Amino acid sequence: MSNEGLNALVTSAIWRAQQLESLGIGSASQAWSEVSSVEEELAKSHPTSQGQGRIARRGAVRAALKAGDYARAQQLYDSYTSEKGATKALKDALKEILTQDAKEMENRFRFASKQLRVGEAREIARYFHNAGAFGLAA
Amino acid sequence: MNIDLRKLREMHPELPGDVAVIMLVRATLASQRNGHSSGVELSLQIERVSSKGSLSWKLADLTTIAQHDSNRITEDGAEAVALVVMHKHHEWRVVRRMQREEFADWLLERKGGARNETAALEVSGVDRGSITSRLTEKLSQVAKSTDVDQRWAGVVGFELPIAAIESRKRGRRVKRRSKRARH
Repeated sequence: MSNEGLNALVTSAIWRAQQLESLGIGSASQAWSEVSSVEEELAKSHPTSQGQGRIARRGAVRAALKAGDYARAQQLYDSYTSEKGATKALKDALKEILTQDAKEMENRFRFASKQLRVGEAREIARYFHNAGAFGLAA
Repeated sequence: MNIDLRKLREMHPELPGDVAVIMLVRATLASQRNGHSSGVELSLQIERVSSKGSLSWKLADLTTIAQHDSNRITEDGAEAVALVVMHKHHEWRVVRRMQREEFADWLLERKGGARNETAALEVSGVDRGSITSRLTEKLSQVAKSTDVDQRWAGVVGFELPIAAIESRKRGRRVKRRSKRARH
């Protein structure tokens, strides 16, 4: 798909997600998941050296978190920060998005986060996710 | 300067049709619910230079207003007006919408010399009252936007129709100049 087509898609997707979110409608997370996918496609067609490429990479990670899909956000983070040409500023910005989200999560679940930090809980979830069904038995 | 909302799609061909239609309807409703008719006088403040113009649109059915969220009427309506003003001012065109955390609503582009220039545009609408403090607030917000060449804020008031757009660079220069004037 052309960049113009992807830009139109991401505009519509963000627009829809923001409208649902502002009305407090629960399906907003599905809409953010769509945003993340389109941002990911845009990131593929714009290198990290271009402003639009950096905007799309931040957008893909952030929208995955808004969709509640931490595993995907982490995966995208790993992929974008290991790209050749990823600047320190971009890596810092991506890290900040994840850190900020973890902080918000800790504030939301204060009691639980006293027992286990969000980062640790996500690391365990990631381990089981990567290990698949047999990981649980190991 | 005549701000004809009907030209929004023509000015911004990359703005998706469904989004443009809702923005236009809401801009119309925001104006009509304040008792204005198409062709109403519009005060313009472009980079702090004031002028007079007019604002025109295709009539909307006010009985459908309940289908829209009241705040969205003001905000989305303001975005339609600001995008038309931005196009009239140096032919900026929409590239895409941005997520809130990018500190702007829209990524715009225009033909420059060797490469196209980009701008972040943050817009806000005011249904009733003055727009002055809101513009300062939005300029501070868009100043944080990265990976663009220029940063613009736009505020549209619907009670006494007014549209103000200002770039961050220009804002800073004006601030420095007025500081010097005070010393």
